[in-house]
Amino acid sequence: MTSGPSGRSRGVIALDVDRCTSCMICVRECPDWCIEIDAHQEVTPAGGLGGRSRTRNVLDRFEIDYALCMYCGICVDVCPYDALHWAPRSTPDERSAHALVHDAERLAVWLDDVPDRVGPP
Amino acid sequence: MSTASGRDLAGLLGPGASATEEFGEQTVDVPPDRWLEALAGARDALGLTFFDWLSAVDELDVGLRVVCHLAAPDATRRVLVRTLLTGAEPRLMSATGLFRGAEWHERETAEMFGVTFEGSTRAGPLLVSGVPGHPMRKDAPLVRRDAQAWPGRTDPSQSRREAPA
Repeated sequence: MTSGPSGRSRGVIALDVDRCTSCMICVRECPDWCIEIDAHQEVTPAGGLGGRSRTRNVLDRFEIDYALCMYCGICVDVCPYDALHWAPRSTPDERSAHALVHDAERLAVWLDDVPDRVGPP
Repeated sequence: MSTASGRDLAGLLGPGASATEEFGEQTVDVPPDRWLEALAGARDALGLTFFDWLSAVDELDVGLRVVCHLAAPDATRRVLVRTLLTGAEPRLMSATGLFRGAEWHERETAEMFGVTFEGSTRAGPLLVSGVPGHPMRKDAPLVRRDAQAWPGRTDPSQSRREAPA
């Protein structure tokens, strides 16, 4: 028997950066305003005859402030690209509230704990 | 298993008390001056000896509703006892004489909603100190909302760059 929360526990929210399209839906739906995204668009010029330029969002910064988060899971529900997942972990204790701001790198660590996660195609 | 219900409790308390059942949840509403009587009745007559929690709801013009959840230790039955406080300085008798564990909840409710619990053994702030007003009252200003800009205001389309070749 393993200790710790069960697999489906709503412990923390993990981010799959590769799936995030910086659509801002989670940021705007969050009742606590605890998610922040910085992103820009990159334009690839049209290549060849009759081609069109392509625009895509590039994520620069994704942060969840766990000092504010109330673990409602609305961001997980609204994400159209399954970039956010519940992971059965608990937020580590920190010495300051500022250290509870988790960037994309720290949020990605919990991805391995997400049960039955279907990876990017 | 006893089948005593919130309806029985309301019957026990007589006029002024009423019981409703919604979604299988028993709720008993009592006037503030019957508060301790209702909690004691639930504990002794109904056997709901487990004090689960106590809190309040700010119902604006209606008043401040104090809510207490009591359950049987085997978790088969439970009842929500409520009372409505009106006026600028809501007061209620402390339940600490009935349930020792009510103190923590009453101190929190006092702090967050500004309810004075008369006869409570200990007073003073429990969670925050030096914060004016009562944070869970609906008229309490949410200062952070004024100080902080909404993170959703930005959009990736506002900054555009040439893709690296």
